[in-house]
Amino acid sequence: MHFALFSGDRPRQIDLNKRAAAGRSAITIHAPSPAPSLAAQPRAIGSASVVAKRRDGRSVIGALAQQGSMKLLFPRARAAQLDAVLLNTAGGLTGGDRFDVAATAGPNSHICLTTQAAERAYRAQPGETATLDTRLTLEAGARLDWLPQETLLYEGSALRRRLTIDMAADARALICEPVVLGRARMGEVPRRIFFADRIDLRRDGQLILADRTRLAGDATAQLAGSATGRGCGAWATVWLAAPEAETLLEPARTAMKDGGGASLIRDGLLAARLIAPDSFELRRSLIPLLECLGRAPLPRTWMI
Amino acid sequence: MTMPTDPAALLTLTQWLSPAYPVGAFSYSHGLEWAVQDGTVHDAPSFQDWLCQLLTHGSGRNDAILLAAAWAADTDDALRGIDDLARALAPSRERALETEAQGMAFARTTSDIWPAALPDLCYPVAVGAAARAMDLPLQDTLLMYLHGFAGNLTSAAIRLVPLGQTEGQAALAAMSSLCAEIARNAMTATLDDLGSCTFAADIASMKHETQYSRLFRS
Repeated sequence: MHFALFSGDRPRQIDLNKRAAAGRSAITIHAPSPAPSLAAQPRAIGSASVVAKRRDGRSVIGALAQQGSMKLLFPRARAAQLDAVLLNTAGGLTGGDRFDVAATAGPNSHICLTTQAAERAYRAQPGETATLDTRLTLEAGARLDWLPQETLLYEGSALRRRLTIDMAADARALICEPVVLGRARMGEVPRRIFFADRIDLRRDGQLILADRTRLAGDATAQLAGSATGRGCGAWATVWLAAPEAETLLEPARTAMKDGGGASLIRDGLLAARLIAPDSFELRRSLIPLLECLGRAPLPRTWMI
Repeated sequence: MTMPTDPAALLTLTQWLSPAYPVGAFSYSHGLEWAVQDGTVHDAPSFQDWLCQLLTHGSGRNDAILLAAAWAADTDDALRGIDDLARALAPSRERALETEAQGMAFARTTSDIWPAALPDLCYPVAVGAAARAMDLPLQDTLLMYLHGFAGNLTSAAIRLVPLGQTEGQAALAAMSSLCAEIARNAMTATLDDLGSCTFAADIASMKHETQYSRLFRS
């Protein structure tokens, strides 16, 4: 089991307590293991969707559905917002896996989504690609924070992600996607990686943001260049689409220090990009930036 | 290429993508001014390296794909959709200005002279649409566009680093086969193939916004 954990091959039937014991992640909740019939199959499938609605001054669950290897957990409320934590019970992503996530923030509600731990993209069989499709909808006056923890890309992984956001003109979306290449601190140097990340944000029906990240082949070499990653092992892009985005540009630049750059691409849309040698260094700039833009502490799972 | 290009077509493309065509290309550095300021680009080899990455993993390749899609678009709606995507892909305010302002200037001048009624479009989309309207071959258009992109950054590097004229031209000459390869690949690419990983160049264009002393608008 330990060999499988560290070779970049996803262990198929995994005991979450064992994973935590192996020091790989801080999973503190014993979620149900995938059903045996599913675990025996060559791919994992999961979907989860949640709708937040506002009731009596607080945001609460309006609807919830989950299936297969994707679960949503709801820690005890820390504020008026609804906190939701995504948990991939298959223990990672590998070729052929398919996950779908949908979240809607109803009128004037506030939902904050994160992940229980870092997501791991493991070695895929040749020609197979894992897909992760996320759809976020923000209705009038709503706020949605999409703050997953890092996605780790291991040697041989193949992952295609799509994040689609549709928001009302006066809604507020804070979006962050941190990615880590292998485990720099363990001396891993991933060479064969396919990663295609596609993000589309529409406000009032108008496409105002399209971001496409593409790594194909020798990812370490691709990111070694002076214009690409400068040898980075971790990177993140953050967007804030909100009417007051402009007022947060200078605070954002100050918060992230020298970890990256920020720009108000257009009215009500702020973007920041960060690159760092590893995920530890990335978080040193990313966490202050997210706390500045979100005007709130990060979800607790980030700190465990 | 199977057939030699019609001389008139070749000259039209040469004119459109020459530094003399009034799109204001000389005022954009695509983030290079910051990369020189912070020492990343400091001589001919480091500039050539920077340019090669932009062409291979960044906006050079993406612009080529957008240009090819615009050339192939059969309806105004399709063209508008490609243009919306091109605008939304800009990673920073100045990079948005760069592609929007050059595209607008290109579309207006070209529409005034040639029978190609172009709306305001982003630069690669405008060039692709104009080439299609004038029935100019796609591969040559891609080649000239990429060479223009590389040539403009070379001129910026000659002024900023600074590089000697000969050093600069040698760096540009070294990009020929790369431009040809990217143009060839863009012929069969689709919008689903868009993608980049030039994070440091994007960050440079963001940091350029607050650069104290600057010659360029991007």
